[in-house]
Amino acid sequence: MTMTDDPLLSIRNLQTYFHTDDGVVKAVDGVSFDVDRGETVCIVGESGSGKSVTSESITQLIPIPPGEIVGGEVYFDGEDVTELSTGELQELRGGRIGHVFQNPQGALNPVYTVGYQIREAIDAHHDLSKAEARQRAIRLLEDVGIPEAATRIDDYPHEFSGGMKQRVVIAIALACEPDLLIADEPTTALDVTIEAQILDLLRDLQDEYDMSIVFITHDLGVVAEIADRVVVMYAGKVMETGSVEDIFENSAHPYTEALLECLPGQSNLEPIPGTLPSATDPPDGCRFHDRCEYATEECRVGDQPALSEIEDGHGVSCVHWQRGSDGLPEPTDVRGPVRSTGGER
Amino acid sequence: MSTETHTDGTRDGHDEITFEDVDWEEFDGGLEWTRTRVAAYLTMGGIALAWLLDSLYGSRRDPLVDYQFGPVEFAPNPGNVEWLFTLTLAVLFFYCLVPLYQNPRRTKHYWKEFKKNKAAVASLVFLVFIFLVAVFGPFIVGRPELDLANAYQPPVFYSYVPGLEGGTWEHPFGTMQSGEDILQTVVIGARVSMMVGLIGCLMIVVLASAVGTTAAYFGGLVDEVLMRFVDIMLTFPTFFLILFVVYLYGGDLFTIILILGLTTWTATSRLVRSEALQRNEEQYIDAAKNVGASERWIITRHLVPNVSNTIITAATLAIPSLILYEAVLAFLGFGDPNVWSWGRVISEGRGDLQNAWWIATIPGVFLFLTVLAFNFLGDALRDALDPRHE
Amino acid sequence: MKAYIAKRIAWTFFATWVTLTITFLLLDFSPISAAGAEFVDQQVQQGMDADEARELYQEQLGHGDTAWERYTNFMVGLATFDWGWSSMYSQPVVDVIANSWIYSFQYVFPATVLSVILGFAIGLYSATHQYTKEDYAATLFAFTGISLPNFWFAIMLILIFATMLGWLPTYYSTDVALLSLENAKQLILPVIVLSTAAIASEMRYARAESLEYVHAEFVKTARAKGLSENQVTIRHIFRPAMVPLITILVGDILGLLFAGGYVIEVIFQIPGLGLVSYEAIIQQDTPLVLATVLIPVFIAIIGNLVQDICYTILDPRIDFGDR
Ligand SMILES: Nc1ncnc2c1ncn2[C@@H]1O[C@H](COP(=O)(O)OP(=O)(O)OP(=O)(O)O)[C@@H](O)[C@H]1O
Ligand code: SF4
Ligand SMILES: [Mg+2]
Repeated sequence: MTMTDDPLLSIRNLQTYFHTDDGVVKAVDGVSFDVDRGETVCIVGESGSGKSVTSESITQLIPIPPGEIVGGEVYFDGEDVTELSTGELQELRGGRIGHVFQNPQGALNPVYTVGYQIREAIDAHHDLSKAEARQRAIRLLEDVGIPEAATRIDDYPHEFSGGMKQRVVIAIALACEPDLLIADEPTTALDVTIEAQILDLLRDLQDEYDMSIVFITHDLGVVAEIADRVVVMYAGKVMETGSVEDIFENSAHPYTEALLECLPGQSNLEPIPGTLPSATDPPDGCRFHDRCEYATEECRVGDQPALSEIEDGHGVSCVHWQRGSDGLPEPTDVRGPVRSTGGER
Repeated sequence: MSTETHTDGTRDGHDEITFEDVDWEEFDGGLEWTRTRVAAYLTMGGIALAWLLDSLYGSRRDPLVDYQFGPVEFAPNPGNVEWLFTLTLAVLFFYCLVPLYQNPRRTKHYWKEFKKNKAAVASLVFLVFIFLVAVFGPFIVGRPELDLANAYQPPVFYSYVPGLEGGTWEHPFGTMQSGEDILQTVVIGARVSMMVGLIGCLMIVVLASAVGTTAAYFGGLVDEVLMRFVDIMLTFPTFFLILFVVYLYGGDLFTIILILGLTTWTATSRLVRSEALQRNEEQYIDAAKNVGASERWIITRHLVPNVSNTIITAATLAIPSLILYEAVLAFLGFGDPNVWSWGRVISEGRGDLQNAWWIATIPGVFLFLTVLAFNFLGDALRDALDPRHE
Repeated sequence: MKAYIAKRIAWTFFATWVTLTITFLLLDFSPISAAGAEFVDQQVQQGMDADEARELYQEQLGHGDTAWERYTNFMVGLATFDWGWSSMYSQPVVDVIANSWIYSFQYVFPATVLSVILGFAIGLYSATHQYTKEDYAATLFAFTGISLPNFWFAIMLILIFATMLGWLPTYYSTDVALLSLENAKQLILPVIVLSTAAIASEMRYARAESLEYVHAEFVKTARAKGLSENQVTIRHIFRPAMVPLITILVGDILGLLFAGGYVIEVIFQIPGLGLVSYEAIIQQDTPLVLATVLIPVFIAIIGNLVQDICYTILDPRIDFGDR
């Protein structure tokens, strides 16, 4: 957290709802966090906690309708993305913000060659000749570590393995040298060795292209490896946010702790008991109270507790964060909502 | 919904229930002779026997006595087809209505799902109405008779020249060129369309499931030969196949319905085969093989019930085209000349558009609505029953 | 791929042979196909000279005394375009066909083009605007279109536009030149009737197939690249949906158009293949009936071949070892 003045991406109180037959799904309900330049921010949380919807709301890739961004702002390089016109949004997508999705099998269109699909991303933002675009596509493929890129470029996706497909998808996301790469569980569908390779690749590319990364995962092992900062989400809300050390060594939120206990190597390998609360009709108070062992009456009323900054850049949304049972430091001073994490204003 | 979930049988009531969940052993009684089953076999056997007797001795009966005995003599349409219709109704009763009645929980669930589709509910209501008209109507309103004195009566509320005396309630839909009452022809036409649709549908169910499951179960050469044959049949444009066969063999309604059934089952059999192929892989088939069940037993007791959703959906979706094919044949004049099919009435009205628009219009409205309703119903069934269709 | 195409062509020949054999068997077993002596008897009874009748019989496709003789004669005749003699037209069957196909083509072709373009466009729009009012309207139209009995629809249009309003002619007239405005005018109703059902059924298929891709991951990827909505729709929804759509084009749509055309020609009295076939049936001119039935069959067989080859070009994933 060195460049505190000018975050590349700043999400403020984002609310994304889906209008479904069963009611309004409040998939993301007041999420705030920042991403600094050159920084890697990990969003973690159980399945269904709203990680993907958050990341896809940034450039409005969620299906609208049924989705709708009902509130909040998304500042990218100082500009509110939610106010942009369709054309400007399309400029941003793929141009300055690249996206990598979870499932490499499905992320490539089976009827086009990988070369075509990379060139498409280049052509959307640059006026290059066909040969130039092709050269660039080959270089990108080389960058993401595809051997014999010059010949493989004319192959179809089904001729690539899963890991190689994911590399192609990353190449597409990098096609226009974006400032921000959003990677939504890019390694979940891959096996462990491939996963490690892809993570290495992302780290190298981050240096090479000098970009920020928003990395979504529910694997805390991966988080420990690559994150600078972490956002812990639960049921459409931010539970805790802080540097990777804050989260792993000083976690103050019962949910984060529960997640950490599920890490391999920990004594407790049981998943957290219970399930996510209803997204259409969330409970009053803290959304985690059904499953929280520290929950009291206080936790069951009102809104989600505000995100209070307990250290510089370390915010927690919990009434009992000071419960002190596990050696939490006392808050030095209460500065209200933290800058880098927002909170409800 | 994934296919595996069908077999475990431990799903909670919240999940979708399908015909495939039916414990067929239980309600078919397995080896046991349940009361329903005895009743079904007795009824269908009885009808078949009566049909046989009728076709063997029926024509030799004393014409005086003849007119007073047996349902067939009162029947609106020529004999064989009425018997086949009765048999179809029995099958419909024992294999659709009875299971629904015996499993109120499932019925309720189906109804809950089905209710969501407003168009389908309206269609069902309309079809039940047409069905009742088809089954009972001809006995109530009687059959159309020549009545030259009353030719070209306009329908009620309509008159040629405003002010002049118009149609009367005696012939609410007006009359035809030779004075036949259009209401009566519409009622008889409903029966013909229902006969074509339901009997044809039953034939498709039987043929498609026999061929489809056999191909899937035996695989190898049997599969290859059957499916290649189906491929070739499918290349043949159905309408021309029907036309050609009707030209060569056609004539009465019975033959036409047989031809329709025999020429339209192929697409369904292919669907059934691919569905059955997936099922064939599953454990309970293996289990049955392991305990030494016979092939026929496995196919009829395990494979067919488990692809019944596919069969029911596909066969329902075939009904509208069956009805339309018959109507077109009748319209072209290749149908049964003794039968008042909707298509035939429309064709008779075609030359009189100028002075009697109602002859062609009214039966067409019923034909259109019936076909539309069957299409809506089939579509809703597919949504509700077909596991691959979301 | 070459091997696949060769195999596919071989299968086409085999399928044609099986189809023709089935046709022959249907014909030969039917009460209508009379063996030589009966045929001559029949004609004589109808007042024809015995020698003449015998001569006429020699002109019949598939004549002969034994089944095998008839079969070989039938197959060879078909293969050499010697399709027999039409007693109705007193012309070789092949000539009758040659004279009438243009009347069918002149309206079936525009109707096909129209229905493919409109059907696919509406279907695609419907799929990308699922659950909107337009989508519901399109679906309602589709159900109406596939449920309308086309002969009745034609009659209703005649009733409204010809009988009541008098805007368009009731019957087709061959007195006008094929390439004239007058001719175009009398083809309006046939084209509307023919394409309504085809548009409806194509749009339903197009909608269903496109829907498979509307929520596909690669569509999201395409959007994330910064492509415009039109580019996304055309390249990443429609193009993959084309692959399965091609297979229904030939099988279903061709059948629909031919069957529809048959009835339309009878109603509007357009002297194309359909009307010829209809009259041949009425007049029991079997060689002509056979020919007019076999032509759609041949077109369907060739269409299937073309469709399968298109499929291999459109879908790079197809496994050629599979067939
Ligand atoms: N198109 C949609 N329509 C309706 N609800 C949706 C839609 N997309 C997402 N949701 C809902 O939004 C909530 C958050 O989903 P999201 O995909 O963001 O979860 P996630 O944290 O990414 O989970 P995972 O780890 O499984 O990817 C879920 O309750 C989901 O059901
Ligand atoms: S607010 Fe209460 S319920 Fe929520 S995490 Fe903190 S202690 Fe648990
Ligand atoms: Mg996700």
